[in-house]
Amino acid sequence: MDTEKIREEQGLSEVSGDQREARRGGDGASAGGAPTLGMKIEGLSAFYGSFEALKDVSIDIQANKVTALIGPSGCGKSTFIRCLNRMHEVVPGARAEGRVMLGDRDIYARGSDPVVIRRRVGMVFQKPNPFSKSVYENVAWGARINGYKGDMDELVERSLKHAALWEEVKDRLRESGHGLSGGQQQRLCIARTLAVEPEVILMDEPASALDPVSTQKIEDTMEQLKQEYTVVIVTHNMQQAARISDFTGFFFIENMGDPGRLWEFDETEKMFSNPERKETEDYVTGRFG
Amino acid sequence: MPRETFQQELDGLIEDVYELGAEVEASLQKMVKAMEGRDAEAARAELGVDLRYKARGMDIERECMILQARQAPVARDLRLLYTVQSVTNHLVRSGTLSEHICQAIAETADCEREEDLETALVEMARTARNVFDEGLEVFRGHDIEAARDLQAKDDKVDLLYSEAMNLIANPSEGGGGDPEWRMRAALMVHYLERISDHGVDIGGSTVFLVTGQRIEDAMQQYLDRESGEE
Repeated sequence: MDTEKIREEQGLSEVSGDQREARRGGDGASAGGAPTLGMKIEGLSAFYGSFEALKDVSIDIQANKVTALIGPSGCGKSTFIRCLNRMHEVVPGARAEGRVMLGDRDIYARGSDPVVIRRRVGMVFQKPNPFSKSVYENVAWGARINGYKGDMDELVERSLKHAALWEEVKDRLRESGHGLSGGQQQRLCIARTLAVEPEVILMDEPASALDPVSTQKIEDTMEQLKQEYTVVIVTHNMQQAARISDFTGFFFIENMGDPGRLWEFDETEKMFSNPERKETEDYVTGRFG
Repeated sequence: MPRETFQQELDGLIEDVYELGAEVEASLQKMVKAMEGRDAEAARAELGVDLRYKARGMDIERECMILQARQAPVARDLRLLYTVQSVTNHLVRSGTLSEHICQAIAETADCEREEDLETALVEMARTARNVFDEGLEVFRGHDIEAARDLQAKDDKVDLLYSEAMNLIANPSEGGGGDPEWRMRAALMVHYLERISDHGVDIGGSTVFLVTGQRIEDAMQQYLDRESGEE
């Protein structure tokens, strides 16, 4: 069986032009377009060699919502989201157990292609990392290598608009992406992620290196993004989680050396007004440690 | 402990509310005594407390706003600040009502009264004060079980309210007392009912502080659980 056939059987093949068009025209799961997918994680554990970094995490990530992950450093938040697009296994000796469903398909099922997974579940990192290319090429590159056959100018413009960057760079498209400010570079990375038309966007502390104005722009962008994508964000900024997310998960390590666990998961409103568990309340109120 | 300064500021704020509560309690005590003894002088001594309580209430409110702006509280800290503002409002309002009653007592000292109505009024004043004191005690002790009993105690005040209003509307022949006093009695009955309500609401605010639930929701859950167990 060739690779493409396996991808099709796994439901992980490239999104067709029609599907892309439907998603562009639709508002997430409604309006008759291809629905945005959520993720369902069941019993996920992650290891670095023999060290268990994350244990038995089960969580429903709802489509067209922003889910924030909070918790002290080293409790497995970043490991967790890296498992959601199979980037965890890029680290030598790292592996994951459990099921990670994207729609009704397990991304860890035999034969599923990590490269396709990473296109469907995109990631934005803590530090902006644009390529040493023009603004235009930064956005177009991913789509081009994925065989995008549509109007590239239109795709670049649309992606930059979704990332709330178009107005600031429309006259500088041929200039280097490195010439942009930190906040603009981060939004360029978001546009780059959007250009390959993922269903889920993972963000690992996307604003931690940015000034408050740039942070605000990223946060405003997220409100728009969730209309068409499912967003998962790791943040150490409690107020940011409270401002932008619909759901919040608190990761926690009970004793030094234990694996990280999902300690509490609920609607953000509940997590920041009346969490169920004492450890969550101590953490969000800053009484932790 | 992290956020030690913030915790100290919260503790200081709660202490301010306790102090205000104790002063309003004392005012209510004096008001009831003045009513029991028809003591115009004691009632007059209470005139002016309202301004002091309002100023204290504004200080507490300002401090809450500063803490919200500077510390961005969430969860129990946020509930605490909300509760402090709510309880402070109930305290200030009760202090104001107490002064209004004292003013009525002072200004009707020489009026002829109807004994049954006066008896009902005094009984209502004692009961309302008790409900208020217990509400404050619930807040001090975070005793949410006691908060659930407050509503039943307030029902007694509501019964006395109906009784007093009935007597006002239907004076005994030739013995209804001065019209001025009867009119003031109607107002006092209304003020006392409100003071009792403030006591119940302080208890309700405490339930929210401790559990994050509105007392109405908590009561409904309690009733649902009870009916489920039967």
